[in-house]
Amino acid sequence: MIAPASLGSWSTALPGHGVGSRSDLPLPFAALVAAAGAALLISFVAIGFLWREPRLRESDGLLLPDWLAGVLDSRWLRLVAQVLAVALTLWTLFALVFGPDSALNPVPHVVYVWFWVGLAFASMLFGPVWRVINPVRMLHAGVLRLARVSPDLAVLPYRWGLWPAALGLGTFTWVELVAEENTSLDFLRLLIASFFALSLLGAAVFGRTWFDLADPFEAWSRLLGLLSPLGRRDDGRWVLRTPLHGVNTLRGQRGLVATVAVMLGGTAYDGFSANLGWATFVQSSPLPSSLLRTVTLIGFFGLVALTLWLASAVSVRLAGEPLRQSVSLVSDMAPSLIPIAGGYVIAHYWSLWVYQGQVTWQLLSDPLGTGADWLGTAGLVPADALIQPTLVATIQAVSILVGHLLGVLAAHERAITVLPHRAAIIGQVPLMVVMILYTVGGLTILFTP
Amino acid sequence: MRAFRPLPYAVTALVLAGSLTGVAGCSSSSGSTGPSTAAGQAASTGTSAVKRLEVTITGTTVTPAPAQVELPVGSTLELVVTSDHDDELHAHGFDQEATLEAGVPATLRLTATEPGVYEVETHEPALTLLSVAVR
Repeated sequence: MIAPASLGSWSTALPGHGVGSRSDLPLPFAALVAAAGAALLISFVAIGFLWREPRLRESDGLLLPDWLAGVLDSRWLRLVAQVLAVALTLWTLFALVFGPDSALNPVPHVVYVWFWVGLAFASMLFGPVWRVINPVRMLHAGVLRLARVSPDLAVLPYRWGLWPAALGLGTFTWVELVAEENTSLDFLRLLIASFFALSLLGAAVFGRTWFDLADPFEAWSRLLGLLSPLGRRDDGRWVLRTPLHGVNTLRGQRGLVATVAVMLGGTAYDGFSANLGWATFVQSSPLPSSLLRTVTLIGFFGLVALTLWLASAVSVRLAGEPLRQSVSLVSDMAPSLIPIAGGYVIAHYWSLWVYQGQVTWQLLSDPLGTGADWLGTAGLVPADALIQPTLVATIQAVSILVGHLLGVLAAHERAITVLPHRAAIIGQVPLMVVMILYTVGGLTILFTP
Repeated sequence: MRAFRPLPYAVTALVLAGSLTGVAGCSSSSGSTGPSTAAGQAASTGTSAVKRLEVTITGTTVTPAPAQVELPVGSTLELVVTSDHDDELHAHGFDQEATLEAGVPATLRLTATEPGVYEVETHEPALTLLSVAVR
């Protein structure tokens, strides 16, 4: 749907519009019914007929040919990617500092389309790429190298798991979907400057672990990157494998449930907030609209976390174990929601990524808004072959459905691994019910005008 | 290497195939009705169809309540907006703007080209008036 939905509050001083003035047509009702029916069928087939012993092994996968593995491991590939990432970062910072405060400025598109959505798609294709090209990580490593100190330098031990990442992702989601003026230059300057400052401070105090765990965009890339068909098996060699294998390597850790809840809840809120009924309610309510939106967004995060925990609590009771076990079970099960989150991301952002991603090239060619064409892409006419309504509806329904299928399979594998044998089958029913709710909910959001 | 286990892959492939044909089937049928009705309207009027819609804004209340207006590709929506305060009117995607003066109707002519959903809104305060679904 629309990325920064708060463009409704676009400043009157600015001509034109910002990111994503076009959103997708509602999903056809027949597609909704077909996909929801398939989701139900998948879930019950999974419970009844799937494997009974854990079967995903970290040694699985189709070995890549040596030359391809060599290219993937080569320093050159990394160097080229890093140089491109640094160049784009500097180009964007240049436009951020010297560019015009208008719809001609490329920064909103770079941040909300290429960075946020593009990183998600790139990670789902190639794995956790942000780890390699994160410019703040490079800056931190470069400063330490110049100062001739160990790259592991840290003042304090780090012990919060993914919690800061969940907080950061939640904040960015709020910025994207709720904050007013979120495409104005002053806002973006403040946002980007505080992100750089906070990241460098975190890395200075806690060392590079900060990037591994606390950085929201590294978490975004790493978690969605688990769905990539490219991966390393347990002996470190590159293989082609199913998204299930990637997801299955993730173990429960601090803050994982919160992070997944933010990923799922944020995308769901994005679709929900494009609903006209919601817009009418917000604008005719006596309460300030930003307050209503903020509370509802946090409500979506909370709803995902709560339903997930409730499912675990019921599972644990069905398995005849004490209720406090539900805390560890919910953490064990959270990875299986990542495919569902990935499906949501594809469904919601496909057309934005395809179309506005091309528009970004136009804007980047003229970072100062002076009519220049430095990259030769200013006259690019965005191709619309990939956003034809029938194709978009198909991609949306299929990605949500495949996300559901993978989520159910991943949950099944985890359930028979962590629950006692006898309780594993019945124990996964509550989680499956929650997954069906998410999937049908996600489809309904796409269907409602 | 462990033995290849076909079951999960078979289930995935089956479901994918099923959903693909299901989705493609129904959306292509809806797609085929779209252009034919548009062509029918165009043929009956001789030119491309024009829809007309009047919207009134009183404070933060939009009348009629915001709804989605269907607009076949090639046809035009004539939108007449009257507000009780000075404001700016903006049709996203169509890149059309108009200045609203209190009590004076302003007209936007929106011609559908690219399929998608586009919002029409005002800025002071930020109100969504309607969305236009171009098919």
